Amino acid sequence: MRTHDDEMPKVKLPSLQDVMDADPAGSRVPDPVHGALPPPVRRIVLDQPPTVATPAAPQTRAAGAGAAPTPGHGGVRHAGEPGPERMRLDALSVFYDDKAAVKSVDLSIRQGEVLALIGPSGCGKTTLLRTLNRLTELTASARREGRIALDDTDIDELEVTTLRRRVAMVFQQPNPFPMSIFDNVAYALREQSMKRPGKAVIAPHVHDALQRAGLWDEVKDDLDRPALRLSGGQQQRLCIARAIATRPEVLLMDEPCSALDPKSTEVIESLILELRKDLAIVIVTHNLQQAYRVGDHVAFMYLGDLVEYGAAEQVFGAPRAQRTRDYVGGAFG
Amino acid sequence: MFDRFRAPWSDRRAERVLGALASLVLVIIALMVIFVAIKAWPTLRHNSVVGWFGFGDEVDVQIANQVNGTSGTGGDAFKLNAGPLIYATILTTALAVVIGLAFALFSAIFIVEFAPPRLRRIIVPVVRLLAAVPSVIYGLIGILVLAPFVNDHVISDSRKRSVEYVVQLSGTSLLVATVILTVMITPIMIAIVTDALYSVPKGWKEGAVALGVNRWRAMWTVSIRAARPAIIAAAVLATARALGEGIMLSMVSGGRGFSPNPLDGITVLFEPLRPLAATIVENVESLNAPAVRSSVYAFALLLLFSSLMLSLGGYLAKQPMKKYGIRV
Ligand SMILES: Nc1ncnc2c1ncn2[C@@H]1O[C@H](COP(=O)(O)OP(=O)(O)OP(=O)(O)O)[C@@H](O)[C@H]1O
Ligand SMILES: [Mg+2]
Repeated sequence: MRTHDDEMPKVKLPSLQDVMDADPAGSRVPDPVHGALPPPVRRIVLDQPPTVATPAAPQTRAAGAGAAPTPGHGGVRHAGEPGPERMRLDALSVFYDDKAAVKSVDLSIRQGEVLALIGPSGCGKTTLLRTLNRLTELTASARREGRIALDDTDIDELEVTTLRRRVAMVFQQPNPFPMSIFDNVAYALREQSMKRPGKAVIAPHVHDALQRAGLWDEVKDDLDRPALRLSGGQQQRLCIARAIATRPEVLLMDEPCSALDPKSTEVIESLILELRKDLAIVIVTHNLQQAYRVGDHVAFMYLGDLVEYGAAEQVFGAPRAQRTRDYVGGAFG
Repeated sequence: MFDRFRAPWSDRRAERVLGALASLVLVIIALMVIFVAIKAWPTLRHNSVVGWFGFGDEVDVQIANQVNGTSGTGGDAFKLNAGPLIYATILTTALAVVIGLAFALFSAIFIVEFAPPRLRRIIVPVVRLLAAVPSVIYGLIGILVLAPFVNDHVISDSRKRSVEYVVQLSGTSLLVATVILTVMITPIMIAIVTDALYSVPKGWKEGAVALGVNRWRAMWTVSIRAARPAIIAAAVLATARALGEGIMLSMVSGGRGFSPNPLDGITVLFEPLRPLAATIVENVESLNAPAVRSSVYAFALLLLFSSLMLSLGGYLAKQPMKKYGIRV
């Protein structure tokens, strides 16, 4: 994989604090140590039920972009190693006018793992996701009940801009701004700093974000190119770079690959597995294989209810609820 | 009978027809400019171009002499220094466009981003209605309501006395002209900018807001940026309307070829003036006099040239924006 830590040319960064005088998230929880446990690697063959494979065949998990992945790196699941809880949903309900789109959901989102949200169309996945950084507030008819906490602080008590800086979002349709590649990634860095930082201060951070998003090698020659001239997959990775440039703590992704070809999807999936080390990630997907490939935990929603929540192996391998079985069975059976 | 077997128009042929039509329009415009320029030439030559654009004796006296075909100062019936009229045109247009554009930007942002939906449903059609009101009606309101009000309640007697040996203040003034002109050109700008802001892809706005930028900044850094071509187009259109507004300005501007003097302080606002287009309107009765005719053609030439330059300037200003994928 291109983006392995040890292969990545390291960029010398001035501390982010230098760039952002007003860093909203003063103290951040340190990353948990992610040792490379000998993992139970699952292999997935698209038209077979998932099985737990032997550690001898790890490369099936890592969707490497070219080179064969090495065991013990991004291609490996951190199963059995739950990080600290970052976000907690208590009896969360969301209504559009009087129609409930999300019904009393309890859920926890942990550092260092990927939570995959699955469920049929219209079951409230996007609504749930957008509630996590209060984007639903842009919809006049939306109303929320229940509590969402970020590090034990109710998100309603946080400044909404602060919340959205800590809980970033990547949308279904790539939405790069009509600016250069550089300006896209620099956008949040610039907007979030008090005094307008110069290009020299920002450049290393832009470099770093593009590198982590796995886009650097493709665009490094011309960062002034219009972002809208990139391919769809590149645009989506640019949006990821833009979202992670300011080092958020939680990354929300709403069907990030639905507009992309299999190759770009593969690249983004391996990127997710890589980013998981530093972030809590919630991903909505219609692609059950994808949920299985990237998800540590999976939440299955149906008509606004959270029907089942558990480790990916459990939800796909031995679903408890009949509804889950019906839904998941269709994909793997 | 065999119509459906007829070969469809090829794109090439359509292209050629459209190209010919477009060229025809260009030719007509060019002929018009040349015609007006030829007609304007006598007065421009007589006064020299620099002199014509400059300031001299009272311009109204000069025009009166042209109408009578005589001259008070020695048979110079073509004498004209149009400076005050040009100055009045620039002053009213610039003030109205700058004030109107600022107002239009903020109103459009308010309408699109912050207005409660119910209010929005009322404002938008009202703005469109205002944009369609004939300018002469604004002029009527100006001369029947605003000018008397300014005369009676805003300009103090001592202020009138302070300049009585230079000019008489009677309500119709730079202030009233600018206000009415601004009111006339702002609705169309609001409508254009509002439409442009609505057509900014929602994903861009949401993307910015999701990065922890407040709605106001998101509007400013993303939506307004993306809407710049429309903002330029709105400003160009509004400027052209303001430049060409004759009747309304002749009603409310005071109708005097006077140059309001900024050194008079606040009083400058209450001094009368008369822009080019209004001057044309006020002299239609005297077009038999050759000197007047040539002068009026020269005014027209200047206005024509300005609006051509305006369109060209707007076009050029929009070009760099294409680069990053903004629709222009
Ligand atoms: N802005 C809105 N106004 C009213 N109802 C809405 C709005 N957005 C979503 N809904 C309703 O809320 C429910 C959940 O929608 P949501 O978009 O969260 O579903 P989803 O699980 O993301 O679906 P999909 O998989 O198709 O994206 C749907 O019934 C939808 O009709
Ligand atoms: Mg959705």
